Formats: sequence, C-alpha cells, structure tokens
Amino acid sequence: MKEVKDKKIEELEKCQKHIKHLEGKVKDLENNWKRALADYKNLEKRVLEDKEQLAFYIKKQTIEDILPFLDNLEKIGEHIKDKGLELTLKDFKQTLSFMGVEEIKALGKDFNSNEMEAVETGEGEKDKVLKVLSNGYLLNGKLLRPAKVVVGK
Amino acid sequence: MSKILGIDLGTTNSCMAVMEGGTTKVIPNVEGGNTTPSIVVPDQNIVGVPAKRQQVVNPKNTIFSIKRLMGRKYSDPEVQKIKKNYPYEIVEGQNGLACVEIEGKTYTPQEVSAKILAKMKSDAETFLGQKITEAIITVPAYFNDSQRTATKEAGQIAGFEVKRIINEPTASSLAYGLDKKKNEKIVVYDLGGGTFDVSVLEIGDGVFEVKATNGDTYLGGDDFDQRVINYLLEEFKKENGIDLSSDRQAMQRLKDAAEKAKIELSSTMETEINIPFITADKSGPKHLDIKLSRSKLEQLVDDLIQKTISPIENALKDSGLSKNQIDEVVLVGGMTRMPKVNQIVKDFFGKEPNKSINPDEVVAVGAAIQGGVLAGDVKDVLLLDVTPLTLGIETLGGVSTPLINRNTTIPTQKSQVFSTAADNQTSVEINVLQGEREMASDNKSLGRFILDGIPPAPRGMPQVEVTFDIDANGILNVTAKDKASGKEQKITIQGGTGLSKEEVEKMVKESESHAEEDKKRKEEVEARNQADGLCYTAEKSLREAGDKIPADVKKEIEDKVKDIKDNLQTASAETLKQKTQELSLSMQKIGQYMYKQGEQGNSNEQKDPEDGNKDKKDEPVEGEVVE
Repeated sequence: MKEVKDKKIEELEKCQKHIKHLEGKVKDLENNWKRALADYKNLEKRVLEDKEQLAFYIKKQTIEDILPFLDNLEKIGEHIKDKGLELTLKDFKQTLSFMGVEEIKALGKDFNSNEMEAVETGEGEKDKVLKVLSNGYLLNGKLLRPAKVVVGK
Repeated sequence: MSKILGIDLGTTNSCMAVMEGGTTKVIPNVEGGNTTPSIVVPDQNIVGVPAKRQQVVNPKNTIFSIKRLMGRKYSDPEVQKIKKNYPYEIVEGQNGLACVEIEGKTYTPQEVSAKILAKMKSDAETFLGQKITEAIITVPAYFNDSQRTATKEAGQIAGFEVKRIINEPTASSLAYGLDKKKNEKIVVYDLGGGTFDVSVLEIGDGVFEVKATNGDTYLGGDDFDQRVINYLLEEFKKENGIDLSSDRQAMQRLKDAAEKAKIELSSTMETEINIPFITADKSGPKHLDIKLSRSKLEQLVDDLIQKTISPIENALKDSGLSKNQIDEVVLVGGMTRMPKVNQIVKDFFGKEPNKSINPDEVVAVGAAIQGGVLAGDVKDVLLLDVTPLTLGIETLGGVSTPLINRNTTIPTQKSQVFSTAADNQTSVEINVLQGEREMASDNKSLGRFILDGIPPAPRGMPQVEVTFDIDANGILNVTAKDKASGKEQKITIQGGTGLSKEEVEKMVKESESHAEEDKKRKEEVEARNQADGLCYTAEKSLREAGDKIPADVKKEIEDKVKDIKDNLQTASAETLKQKTQELSLSMQKIGQYMYKQGEQGNSNEQKDPEDGNKDKKDEPVEGEVVE
C-alpha cells in the first residue's frame, strides 16, 4: 500500500516538475513572441520615419541642385536691370517659398555657424555679417544650405 | 541589449556605424551627413560642419587634424612641422606631450578628440533612440602604444567604455568578411582626404596580423583638388589676364567647383566647369567656362597617384612578400573612387581590388562588425529562414501562379481567392508548385489534392480561397476553402523546401536562362485564356439577348466565336489577341441594341443559361483572381 502511495507521489512530483519546466518554456516563448511583435511594431515606426526623412532628403537634394541657378539669375539681375528677369526671379522665389524654402536673413546679423559659412573676413564690426555672397536657405525650418558671408573682424 | 558603436576617428572626417538586426548601418549625424568633419572649436563646443563653416573667422581657435598630434611629444619633429604650418597654437603640456592652446587654456589632443566622439555619441543616440555607452574606435596600423592609449582616453572622456581599439586596415578587411578566409595575405590601400596609408596584413584563424605599414601622411584628396584649382587659375589667367588667386570669394567658388568636377569625372568622361560672374574688370563681368576631361584630370594628378606606388613596394618589402603572393586588395578612402587610382592598384597587383563598400564608410562598418561580434549580436539574433524558391499553384492553361515569392522570410501566410474555369464545375484540383519558372510543368510539384462539393455555378462565380502557410520549421500547409459551401481540404508538405543549396541554385539559374521563352509561353496561355473567356461571355450574352438583336449581328458574333474556338489551340498569341480584340468590338453591338430596346420600354429579364450541364471534373483552377 505504502509502496503504491510512494510511487504515486513520485509520479506527481515528476508531473509537477514537468509542468514547471513547461511553464518556464511558455513564459520564454511568450517573451520572445512579444519581443518579435514589438520589434515589428518598432520597425514599422522606423520605416515610416525613414520614409518621411527620405522624402525630405530627396526634396532637399533636388532644391539644393537647383539653387545655384537661382544664385546665377540673381547675379545676372545685379548686372542687367530687366523687368522680365525681375518678375521671373520673384516667381521663382515664390514657388520655392510654397515648397517650404525660406531665405536666411544674414546681412547685419551676428555670424552664426549653424546657418552661415564664413568665406572671408573684412574690416567692420566684429562677428557681424558685412556682406552676403550667396543666400542661405532653410527647408521646413531645417538648414538647406548655409549663407556664404563675409564677417567683420 | 545596448549596441556597440563602431567609430572611424579620422584625420579629416569621422564616421560611425552600428550592427542592427545582423547587418551594419552607417549612422548619419544630426546635420544629415554620413561623415562628420573632424574639426572642433573646443572653447565653444562647436564640432563638425558648423566648426568648418566658421574656420575663416576663427582660425586660431579652430582645431583640425588633431589626430596628427595624438599621443605625440611636443619635441616630435612631426609636431614641430605641424606647429609651423597650422594656424592654431601648439604648446608643450604635461610629460612633454603636445597640446593645443586656445584663449590661454590648454587642451590635450584627447580632450579635443573627445569632443568629436561626444558629438558622434549624442548623434547616434538621437538616431537610434537609445543610450550608447560602448564603442570600438579605429586607429592607423602604425599608431604606437601611446597614440593608442591617447585614443582610448579620448573615448573615455567622451563617456564611452572603449571595448577595443582596432587597426583601420583590419576594420576594412572585416567589412569585406575577409576574416573568414584562411591564411590569406591582404593589402589595404587607403587614400583619404589628407593621408595615404598602405598596410600588409596576414589572416590566420580569424586573427589579423599587421606585417608592414607604409604611406605618406601628407597626401590625399585635398592635393588632388588643389591641382584642379591651379589648372583652372592658369586657364582663366591665360584667357582673361586676371589672377584670381588673391580673390578669396572667387577662390571659394573655384574650390567648390573643382571638387564637384573631380567627383563628376569619376563617372563621366568630360565635365564643364561654369562659374558665371566670377570677377569683373573695366570691361564688365567675367565668367569662367572651362571644359575638363577625365584624361586631363588624370594628367594633372598623375604624379600624385604615382607617389602611392613606392610606399606599396616598401610595405611589401618590409613584409617579406612579393606582390603575387597577395590574395586580396582592399580599397579605402574617397579618392579610391577615381577610376585611375583603381586602375593603378589593379595593374600593380594584377587583380581586381575589393571596392563594393562605400570607401568613406568601410572602416566604420568594419568597426561595427567587430562590435557586433563582441556584443554577441551575431549569435543572439534569431536566424529566420527564408523560402529558397517560389511557391504557388497551377492555374488555367498550366500556368504557375505564385503565392509566396522566393526569399520571403518564414513563418509566413498568404491567401488568394481563385475561381472555376468551367460552368458547373464542382471540384478543383490544387497542384502545389515550387520553382521560378512561368509554366507549371517546368516547376516541381510538391503535392496535389482535390476540393469537391462546390455548388454548381457559372464559371468565375465560385470563390475558392487558397491559403499557403509555412511555419517556422519550413512545413507548408496548403488549404483550399470554398467560400459558399464552407468545404475545406488541405495538404501538409513536410520539408517541402528541403532542397540542397545546389538544387536551389540550379533551379534559379534555369529560370533565369529560360526567362524569355517562359514569358512567351505564359503570354500565349494568357491570350488563349482571354480568348476563351471572351467566347464564353459572347455566347452567354447572345443567349441572354435572345432575339433582341438583329440576326446579322448575331451571326457576325457567332462566326467570330467559332473562328476563335477552331483556332484556340493552334493560333499564335498575336493572332489570338487580334481576334479577341475584333470579337470584343463586335460584342459592343449587343449592348447598343439592348440599350435601344431598354429605352423603348421593353423589359429585358435575364434568362437562365440553358447550356448542357456538363459536370466537368478536375479542371485546374481558373487563373482569375476574384479578390
């Protein structure tokens, strides 16, 4: 009788051990599964962010490539006073502004290396922008191209 | 699990990368660039691009090329040379070490480098959205103990636990996976912005040993730019008699244009350098307009490229190896993008160099891989399998219709709804296929089963949903379910993807070589299916319209249908397409007459199709996706 009882207890203990082992495994698996799900969710967010960033950089790159032409048109405008050219430039700048491009106001301001690039120093008030050689621009508030400036020393 | 950042702390530019999900990712700085200029204004904590922008205004306080001072004594001839040429102040610090002095305060090279590293740390944390505390930093192979220690200290000041300092050529070799080779001899040719390094390495049991190094610490991309600038200056002077070299604004534009031209000439044979309104004299504005060809550029910099040859020879001599004993050549540094540089190296060693990884980023990528190995990332990542071949079913005309494309990560599930190919078809056969070919007979059949009990209906009406499910062990379950009756059949294919690598490669290759003819065959079947489908619709429409349409129109359509049916199996795809088109045009007349009748107030009830109730069995599923 006692032997049978002992055997049963032994069996029960074995089962309990097994259950514990399985419980641990379930917990592990659940953990891994949640982690995988979380990884996926995070990836989705990252992909979305990456997409937005990519869109921004493509726009940035495109506008950056176009800006030298604007610079040149502006330089031409300084040499040739022409109403047609003036209107074209105005239109050009307006289109850029609709695209989220904003000119950096640099002339007479304090030099700021986050938005400006110093090409040369000249006689004038220290650290003030004396002359803008080419305009700088922001795209959606972020730097698109720094203004190239002459700074006083 | 925190990540270990791999950092290439360069003389002119620095770059960082990290291991993510088993692959490397170069991390951009907050300004959006993949590399950060190694330029610092220590007292104002300005680092990188902004520091570069204010260099002209603040030359005495802007520190660049600090790497050249790392761990060196003030009395070192190298330091004395720098002191003579650089605008910032170099002084003797503790233990006779070289330091820089700004506004009366001395900074050790470690502190200056730490500012670069701290910026990279903070940018990486912004990008990754998590704290980064550990780093691997690379140094040139020739760095001595004190230079290595100084680099490690710089990392510590920046808040990193520096897990390891590794050699730049070792990192580049790691990036190309050369650590997996056995007993190979590698030459790394690194022509960067300001320095040229060549290293000879030997790999044995995954460990790299530097056998010899050589180089020129003052040779790099900047020298190449200068040659182009000088050429442009000369040409402009010849043409206009004006020397632009003293005009800083003009020089700035020339410098930008020269660099752009140099980069362009790596991919094109000729470029035009246009700088309108570069200057002006009494006669008015002057423009620079010069054509530069790739061969002219190569001529301008030929001696610079030739200067890299003798360091290679010396390094080989020191390592005791001859050039034909070298197994692999690795190109590093932006200047190696220049085709001529690539050519010279290739000609010298008589073999194609490794150059597929961005040469500006390859060192950081290698450092990140080393970080991944240390973090155990490579082991920890649960390796998910992919299906090596496309899985699909056979549809009307023997076409193989894919459900799960090859290289899809498993476990995965995909469903698609198909329909019947004939009227009153009560069963469909699902033939599960594996392979890349367009036709079912060219692919491997993994198994087939029949779903029956589909309620009789005109073709195209029943909706049979076929679901492919591959579990993590690669076991494929295919289920077909009739949406109307709810009847379901399934098959389990064990180890359906258990092909050897060779078999998979063979099947993929076969599909590539047969791509053209397969496409043609599929087109033929599709044309036939389309023609057959339209005949069916035409007959049905005729029946429904009854005598509401004139006899001549009816005959015209009937003749065309007969013509198509007679030639269905023999005509070419082109002919069938044309015949189908013609039939389609004729059929529009049915609609015209029906509408006319409708307008006249005639009701047009639909008659039931009264065709012979042939109970077609085991027709393949029609390749028409209902969903």
